[in-house]
Amino acid sequence: MIRFYIALWASKLLYAINKMRGDERDDRPGLLAFKICPDFLARVAKPKLVITVTGTNGKTTTSTLLYNQLTDAGYKVSFNDWGANLHAGYCLNLLRGVTIFNKPRMDASLLEADENTLGHTMGMIEPNYILVTNICKDSLRRNGHPEYIFDRIEKAFEKLGSKTTAILNANDPISRLLAENTGTPRIFFGMNDAHTNPFENRVNDLGVCPVCGGDVKYNYRHYRHIGDYYCPDCDFKTPESKYYATDVDLEGRSIAIKEQDGSVNTYPLISETIYNAFNVLSMVTVAREVGIAPKTISKFLETQIVTKIRETCIKYNGIEYHTYGTKSQNVSAASTVFEYMAKEPSVKEVVFCLDEVQDRNHPSETLTWIYETDYEFLKSPNIKKIICAGHMYLNHKLRLLLAGIPEDKIFCVEEDERVPEFVDTEGIDKVYVLFEIDYVVKGGMWRDNIVKRAMELNGDDPSKLDSFDYFDNASNGSSNVKEVR
Amino acid sequence: MKRVEFLFPELCNIYAESYNIEYLSRCSDELEIINTRHNEVPAFVKGEVDMIYLGCLTERKQEKVIEILRPYTDRIKELIEKGTIFLITGNSVEIFGKSIKDGDHVIPALGIFDFTATRYMDVERHNSQYVGTFTDSEGEQILMLGHRSQFSFAYGDFDSTKFIDIEIGIGMNPDTKAEGIYVNNFFGTYSLGPYFIMNPLFAKYILRKLGVDDTLIFEKEAIEAYEYRRDELRRNLG
Repeated sequence: MIRFYIALWASKLLYAINKMRGDERDDRPGLLAFKICPDFLARVAKPKLVITVTGTNGKTTTSTLLYNQLTDAGYKVSFNDWGANLHAGYCLNLLRGVTIFNKPRMDASLLEADENTLGHTMGMIEPNYILVTNICKDSLRRNGHPEYIFDRIEKAFEKLGSKTTAILNANDPISRLLAENTGTPRIFFGMNDAHTNPFENRVNDLGVCPVCGGDVKYNYRHYRHIGDYYCPDCDFKTPESKYYATDVDLEGRSIAIKEQDGSVNTYPLISETIYNAFNVLSMVTVAREVGIAPKTISKFLETQIVTKIRETCIKYNGIEYHTYGTKSQNVSAASTVFEYMAKEPSVKEVVFCLDEVQDRNHPSETLTWIYETDYEFLKSPNIKKIICAGHMYLNHKLRLLLAGIPEDKIFCVEEDERVPEFVDTEGIDKVYVLFEIDYVVKGGMWRDNIVKRAMELNGDDPSKLDSFDYFDNASNGSSNVKEVR
Repeated sequence: MKRVEFLFPELCNIYAESYNIEYLSRCSDELEIINTRHNEVPAFVKGEVDMIYLGCLTERKQEKVIEILRPYTDRIKELIEKGTIFLITGNSVEIFGKSIKDGDHVIPALGIFDFTATRYMDVERHNSQYVGTFTDSEGEQILMLGHRSQFSFAYGDFDSTKFIDIEIGIGMNPDTKAEGIYVNNFFGTYSLGPYFIMNPLFAKYILRKLGVDDTLIFEKEAIEAYEYRRDELRRNLG
């Protein structure tokens, strides 16, 4: 116990110093707490409500929505919203929520959690709810394959048993099998056919029926392996949902969710994409379980937009210049974004800013993900050019050619700074800079340089361009769209 | 037509391994591709094939594939002896060893080659690249690049059966520079994903082995990308 208090006080002191320096997001206090007291997570007092959000895709958006919702509903919440979704981040999250005497001073703790760490940590934290958004193909270096990630998350449920409630995606044939035999209460959310007409992916995350090895069939798919499925050879099928989206209008940005008592409530969506519709559905499920009224949630969602970490837009001279988070080595996320680029009807140019931070130490490692990702989706007449830069440029070029993209649409260079010279300033509606999520600022800088060149060519002063604070949370009401006049 | 059998694409395509076969087939219209599902009898059992490809799998599916292939062990040995081309990538190479150890659990493998594998599922996944040289039985040499990302290593004496002499990186385990298995025309390596894209010169070599024209689709771009990666790996990891 003495060691725990030394850890608590030392890490709180370091946190206070960091706070004074304006460096609240530095998770070293959490790391210090863990180093001094390895079972810090078990000993630190928890607020009455602890929610963990995990899964391959949608963690950040869903947990940000949940944080904003809980705060809006009057909860005092500790949230690791700075992307520290590993052990140190959990320690920092929880130590911020207690006094120096280890008494809870928050109403809730919201943990965005990396799937890999769950087995080691959740048994100590004992969250009230664990939301698993989905399990899809992710970076192989970090996450191996979906079956491995399933096993890592399952370990948390094995340890927790009935001490937590699993909130699971009924439409995901992989993660819906979690906690089936652990004695953990399970709540499913699911969605009716949203008529997304998804493309077929090169790599199937599911492979075969996880129960009998048969060929899984779909009544409909939403994207990738997410949909309404069944196995003709056994009784494996989409389970019944407690929260079921009966009607999803992506264009009109609304979702009607039916609850077990038969009541149906309609909520606004934060964007027109199917994956963000799932993020809203999973967030509503948790909020309803916590006891927040549908009307309150609906009113709150009207104020929400996609976080700036994921997407921003500058409008100039009739063209929209977007940054768009893409998570390059996360194959499922990258393919889903490529599909969106093809289906979003505007005439556009797409810029790849997709090198990964960690690849500085692992050059050429990204070759595998490039061939798992569906570059074929980019063979769409509304995509006028694809511009790539960075050390993988030759690999992107080869892959694009193999995907059937005409050579005259492909512009690949090694030097980042040359990107703007290839982007047209007329004859297009939009430019999308698809950026690896670790490079939020770099992606923004590339986009800004493209806009600045357009301003120069148009005789405007590029210094007038005022960009974004990309880490400014969307909940404060500031827009993620700017117009340069 | 030369017959190329892709074994169990629904199980063995977790890191775009299917691109190995797609790439070959796009390079030559003299290849007949046979995709055999896990619930079908492989074509190599029923008749002759010129090449067999097996890619990386999840650990559970690796065990399933061992059981599927076990009844055909003698036939596989026969095909290796008579020089049929085998390309075996990722952890599927372990299927051809004696056993795979996972904690206290030992999974008997096909026992065609004299090595064992051990999984370390609770240890951080091993990720690395390799640069090395393949020297074939007639002395032809190709500089090979590989990318490994794995939970397991293989142990044994690989000196007489190695596929690649590693220059940068590790071999079948961190203590050896001998990578993979090369016996007659059996090529096994832990490297993942689209191996022919990563090694266009080896793709050409295999096309020649198959007896077809060795011109690659987008050959200039494939070799440019290969040379850039080779130089980058040597610069950063050498």
